[in-house]
Amino acid sequence: MRNPMVETMKEVFFRGLEEARRLGASAAKLKFFHKEKIAAKFEAGRLKETGSEERLSYAVHVLCGGRMGAASGNRLDDLQQMIGRAVSLARVGRVAHFDEYPPPREVTSVRTHSERTRSLTRDHIIEGCGQIAGSLKGYDSDLFVTCSATRLESESLLVTSGGVCHGGMRTQWALGGFAQRTRDTDMVFAGYGRAWCDLNPLYAPGEIAARIITDLRRAEKGVPPPTGSLKAYLPPETLRMFIYPIHLGIHGRNVAKGESPLQGRLEEQVLAPTLSIMDVPHQEFAPRAAEMDEDGIATQELVLFQGGVLKRFLYDLDSAGLAGERPTGNSGCAPYNSTVLPGDCTSEDLLSSVEDGIYIRSLMGFGQGNIGNGDFSANLALGYRIEKGEITGRVKDTMVAGNVYELLKGQVFLSSDLDYDGRFPHAVIEGVQVSSKER
Amino acid sequence: MKDRLFEALKKSSADYAEIRFETSDGTSLAYRKQEVDRANTWSLCGGIVRACKNGGWGVVVFDSLEGLDVQVQEACRCAALVGREKTILAEMPPVVEERPALLGRDFRTISLDEKLDLLGEYNRIILGANSAIASSSVEYMDTMRVVFFANTRGTYFMEERPKVTCAFRATARDGALLQRAHDSVASAVSYEVVLGLEDMAREVAERAVALLRAPKCEGGPQTVILNHRMGGVFIHEAFGHLSEADFLCENPRMRRLMAIGREIGVNSLNVVDEGPLQWTTGSLSFDDEGTPTGRTVLIKDGILAGRLHSLETAGKMGERPTGNARAVRRDAPPIVRMTNTYVENGQRTVQELFQGVDKGIYACDAFGGQTEFEMFTFSAAYGYRVEKGERGELVRDVVLTGNVFETLKAIDGIGNDLRVLDGAGGCGKMGQAPLPVGFGSPHLRIRGVVIGGR
Repeated sequence: MRNPMVETMKEVFFRGLEEARRLGASAAKLKFFHKEKIAAKFEAGRLKETGSEERLSYAVHVLCGGRMGAASGNRLDDLQQMIGRAVSLARVGRVAHFDEYPPPREVTSVRTHSERTRSLTRDHIIEGCGQIAGSLKGYDSDLFVTCSATRLESESLLVTSGGVCHGGMRTQWALGGFAQRTRDTDMVFAGYGRAWCDLNPLYAPGEIAARIITDLRRAEKGVPPPTGSLKAYLPPETLRMFIYPIHLGIHGRNVAKGESPLQGRLEEQVLAPTLSIMDVPHQEFAPRAAEMDEDGIATQELVLFQGGVLKRFLYDLDSAGLAGERPTGNSGCAPYNSTVLPGDCTSEDLLSSVEDGIYIRSLMGFGQGNIGNGDFSANLALGYRIEKGEITGRVKDTMVAGNVYELLKGQVFLSSDLDYDGRFPHAVIEGVQVSSKER
Repeated sequence: MKDRLFEALKKSSADYAEIRFETSDGTSLAYRKQEVDRANTWSLCGGIVRACKNGGWGVVVFDSLEGLDVQVQEACRCAALVGREKTILAEMPPVVEERPALLGRDFRTISLDEKLDLLGEYNRIILGANSAIASSSVEYMDTMRVVFFANTRGTYFMEERPKVTCAFRATARDGALLQRAHDSVASAVSYEVVLGLEDMAREVAERAVALLRAPKCEGGPQTVILNHRMGGVFIHEAFGHLSEADFLCENPRMRRLMAIGREIGVNSLNVVDEGPLQWTTGSLSFDDEGTPTGRTVLIKDGILAGRLHSLETAGKMGERPTGNARAVRRDAPPIVRMTNTYVENGQRTVQELFQGVDKGIYACDAFGGQTEFEMFTFSAAYGYRVEKGERGELVRDVVLTGNVFETLKAIDGIGNDLRVLDGAGGCGKMGQAPLPVGFGSPHLRIRGVVIGGR
């Protein structure tokens, strides 16, 4: 960081804890975040914008008389005032289900800061975008191409009345491209991107462009959409989306509040036996890797589903207290890096196994419905027909619908090869409802 | 503030530069099931410098006004790295104005206790409505966002942008089956909007329970009637985003496709975007480039009549700036966005629209929508079967999709009961969400809309 602040903030926050106590708080935590970022954007295939950003923020949470209040800001001069406001809110605020923030415990160290990423310059990220744009325009000069890249370095600090004083540093790059092909009223949109903490071979403009070109090639030919109950091939990015309702279901606060369909179903066969899902907060250089949650509790690698059997819900400190359970070290009751264990066959063999089905590359409107129950109905924004194990062309004007829990409890086949971050395989599921307009 | 911003802009070496600085103060309260689940407050400030040199943009995001001249220089330096063409921005006469909010009942004068008592009462209504109600959520938020803006053309404005929202959600359970219902209100002018919502709370709870028993809507092409909210989301997703000129400006094929004068809908279809409505959260006096907002006719008698612009898109397309460059937050650059977009009144009564439907679906309220220009999707909160002109059985999972170049021409009935609405959510585009927008429509009837399902 050009202007590191964590060491200074430790003293400020220790004084903040004392102020909170003086105002009547029985427990408190203060969080600080500071980032520096550079960015570049290409539009219509050429460099359009570049810039930089430096920002900080803090949040104060206090516990008074069994209730919690929170205040956040970004003017350090206001910190004392914000502590006062948090205490005022706590008087009438959120019911707390814990008495004190836990004492510090040993954490599993995980690397999230990379000098290689830190040394990524503006010229580098502009060059990366330029390579993607150049590859896409080289494939088809009529494409409308946008690309973007960022490099970020951040520092954070958590100080709690339980005795935790934990700082961290993180770097992250992100690189992606997007292409629109317009032929009269027919449009195809294809995009792909990556993000990681360490500057490693994943930073590959050529591979990113190649993925987008693959989608564009597959969408060259239009074919009639099928209808009915069909097999669907889910590439990793789509499987990742289908797991989202599962995250809502294992969210400990949702469970405790009666809003999860998985309530009361621990140790039940909820998903297919082929599905084992873990949370992996200690994956080195993963963007969401974490040593500690926002209450000062050490994170842990957790089995969420073992052979489809639901093993646990995820709890932050307060939600655990509400539910009468132990906290799992998951801020916001969410996984850090949910990871689906791979299957046996390659993705090529998986595709070949589909006699008649659809390939769901991207959906429009997934999540805009009763997704908490797992229900979805979405437009197949980019999808292909699979016939006799081969992609035969793009389908349009097609809706896919179903219930994620039902679909992932049926036959689920997983590939042995995974997405770039090692977390999601390709999948084939059965019973997706496909409806379309006849043309 | 004006002097400070103009002083910093003197350091600009770009063809054009601007500074936007904002403060945001607010409170967020929520009940969830029996308890207060959230009591947060915030006070934030910061802004963004943008500079344009030879057609390239430099952008610097900052938290503090200290060193603002250095931020301006940095933005200009970035712009100089990028620009290889000519800067083309539409001309606008400079304005110098301050627009304090025209607040009715000011939410800042209402005590925490009073707000929580109100939310608690609504929450009790939802929880007590039916034994099948498993959970409830009542969320309240108020924000006072103050925007200060200045540019090298001599424009300066200050505008206060208040917002109050209240959102209800009821979760009903039958075994492992969960159904949810929701509704919300929002206002840019008065705390009064969150008062007297007892009936709304009750309806949300009753609907969640009713949806437990409701069958799923059948999939396939259907004739649909859309209520006001659903019609508003429809036109927002089906057409509104296509009218945002930054999607067209640098894309020659899209420009040809969306040429002014193209027939795009039925000849009774008229669509407008109107910034200065005042009472909705999508309303504003100036956009985030200092252009006064206005009323832009987008479709007139079924023909493409206008577009929504920023200074750059208007300049490059040789059209008039419309005051639609909006930023969702203090750290975001302005991009072309809608304000309050609605279908104007037609001639039919609602009864006439229903009478024309032998078999169809009445789609009501909205979970949301999404578009990829050609294709769009929008999701009803609930629906009813329509048979022989009569509203029938409640159905769930009503998600519709369409092709804009076909669906706008498949509208065969426009009601005469326009309502422009607001809500607690907002619009998303290019990572900027949720932007408050107003939307609306009279009841609409459309043939052959594909609904997802079995």
